[in-house]
Amino acid sequence: MKLNEGEIGRNYVVTGVLAKQQVARRLEALGVNERTPVIVLNKKGSGSLIIKVRGTRLALGRQIAEGITIEEVARR
Amino acid sequence: MSRADGPITVAFVGNPNCGKTTLFNAFTGAKLKVANWPGVTVERVEGETSYEGRPIRVIDTPGVYSLTSYTIEEIVTRKCLEEENIDVIINVVDASSMERNLYLTMQLLELKKPVILALNMMDIVEERGMEIDLHRLPEMLGHIPVVPVSARKRSGLDVLMHAVVHHYEEGPQGIVVRYAPQLETKISQVEAALRNKYGDMDNLRWHAIKMLEYDEEVYRDHPLNLRGIVDYSYEKDIINEKYDYIEEVVAECLFNKEKKAAMTDRIDELLTHPVWGIPIFLGIMALVFFLTFTVGDFLKGYFETGLEYFSQGFLAGLQAMGTSQWLISLLVDGIVAGVGGILTFLPNIFILFLALAFLEDSGYMARVAYVMNETMSRVGLSGKAFLPMLLGFGCTVPAVMATRALATERDRRRTILITPFMSCSARLPVYVLFAQMFFGERALLVAYSLYLIGLVAAISIAYVVHKTGGNEEEDGLLIELPEYKTPNGRTVAIYVWEKVQDYLTKAGTTIFVASIVLWFVLNMGPGGIVEEVSGSFAAMIGRLLVPILRPAGLGSWQIAVALISGLSAKEVVVSSFSVLYGISNINSAAGMGELSQILAQNSFGPVNAYALMIFCLMYTPCVAAIGAIKRETKSVSWTAGMVVFQLVVAWVMSVIVFQVGSMIF
Repeated sequence: MKLNEGEIGRNYVVTGVLAKQQVARRLEALGVNERTPVIVLNKKGSGSLIIKVRGTRLALGRQIAEGITIEEVARR
Repeated sequence: MSRADGPITVAFVGNPNCGKTTLFNAFTGAKLKVANWPGVTVERVEGETSYEGRPIRVIDTPGVYSLTSYTIEEIVTRKCLEEENIDVIINVVDASSMERNLYLTMQLLELKKPVILALNMMDIVEERGMEIDLHRLPEMLGHIPVVPVSARKRSGLDVLMHAVVHHYEEGPQGIVVRYAPQLETKISQVEAALRNKYGDMDNLRWHAIKMLEYDEEVYRDHPLNLRGIVDYSYEKDIINEKYDYIEEVVAECLFNKEKKAAMTDRIDELLTHPVWGIPIFLGIMALVFFLTFTVGDFLKGYFETGLEYFSQGFLAGLQAMGTSQWLISLLVDGIVAGVGGILTFLPNIFILFLALAFLEDSGYMARVAYVMNETMSRVGLSGKAFLPMLLGFGCTVPAVMATRALATERDRRRTILITPFMSCSARLPVYVLFAQMFFGERALLVAYSLYLIGLVAAISIAYVVHKTGGNEEEDGLLIELPEYKTPNGRTVAIYVWEKVQDYLTKAGTTIFVASIVLWFVLNMGPGGIVEEVSGSFAAMIGRLLVPILRPAGLGSWQIAVALISGLSAKEVVVSSFSVLYGISNINSAAGMGELSQILAQNSFGPVNAYALMIFCLMYTPCVAAIGAIKRETKSVSWTAGMVVFQLVVAWVMSVIVFQVGSMIF
């Protein structure tokens, strides 16, 4: 599923990043890559969300969140 | 070595918001602005320090997440690393988010230049009960020196400089990140091709890796035909493998990783709430302006009394010395009234910047980008564009510069276009004066309404531009949210002191000169010194604009002159009124009474006052802002167009306010 469909407080891992090349590269540099664990911390109805990734918090707009696919994993 | 005693050049490089500038300030004694949001520093800055008698040249760079060159910050930082003779890179790493910070470290290590790791924010790490294996960490990072520091508490600084002086010739040992065999094969092939064409290079491996990533800069500097070797961009694999290695480092060197303080997350549940986020933001801004007006006014009384005494004493002194009448008039009615009147607003300015400093250093700024993202998205900008706008409440000049953090030129220009509508601190004296003079108890509400109107105007203009500009989708929001922290005393003090200094400097330069010029155009006419001001140059110029300003309820030559003078700095609108009407202490109860009486003779009432404030809110901020906008857009015609646009908007809005207001009241 897409990152913006994730639920608050759940653990996921990234399975793919699909975005404009520029955005994809920035995401990769920020450590959002395949197999990266993420937790959804906060989410708005419109699809913007805050995730915790590699020990830091990132705020993402809907367009970017839609391009990130994730799958749920058991709480580590 | 021949340069054993020469200066060592050191560059601070690291992720945004990891404390580079705080460290830079600590070493050089500079007072550069620091705050708790990513992207405060947008330019490289140089300073000097020394250690054990050895001069050290220190360069601060904008924060970057990676050594690619996609954003302005990255280009600036990378240029600095490549073109300047950097002896040592101090890689500042936020120890409390080591995993992400080490990614840049991996790239710096590949450069093969001497790198020293400054492990910043160790105090926070310890507070959270985390431990870092300082023995194992350097082993895994090519045996570079790793120095724990706390930039805010200024600890570990000597050890860091010691490392600089003694290790500035040693690069990292060996290869830190070994990639998968097929990638390593490619790297060797590219290295061979590079050596073939360019001979032995210092950092062959780095160039080879960058070429596998399809890095445009490297190809431009060292064109190379790699057909058959590099058939697609290996960037993704290279990034992934670096992160894989970082995970190993973190697993071996960082303990109790999960035991993090959940404080930030709990605060965020409230401040970034999907429904309450925006009301809370507006509430916080209302509180800021409430404090600015009430606490500022409380302190203002002392300034007024002081000015009163000074003005009277000065006048008496001049008369006692037998100074000629015109010089007394210039000094007292021109300079003391103009400059002194502005100084009485200092308490309001002080409180405003104190409040903004708290907001910026607490970590809330970046949250506002998230909270406002939907609103901004509707007008074709990302929430990140809201950060420069927020800074615009302080001053338009740094706000315009802060747009550099935005990804595209299109977003930058649009943000630059709307930022001047955010009501800056220079417009504050206009509101303080006219709101109090004409609205009494409701002054605060009136002033807050102006801030809101400015915000709404900015967003509406962005909306119109978006709709007419083809509606294309904006660059999505992507911003790191820092941990909340208690604002640091030193940081806040530096921030506020700089702003107070700016204000005093402005009073002593721009406003001083404007007051003198104004006095002259008021007292001189075509035939020399005039008896009646109505025959002065100022009146002649002002009268030209009266027909244009009349529909806005601003149809007097004095107001026209005040507004023209206001282009030098918005405070000058207020000081102009002092000089125009010869009021010595405009911000006092007596001064206000005097001015409102004079204005009332021209049937200038509350509606006119509101129209005047609207005009001041919307028209061109000041020459300094125009200069900044020209520098940042690099376009004279665009800047000129913007000035015309602002004048038109200000006129249209104040006409609407006056006409509608006159019908109702």
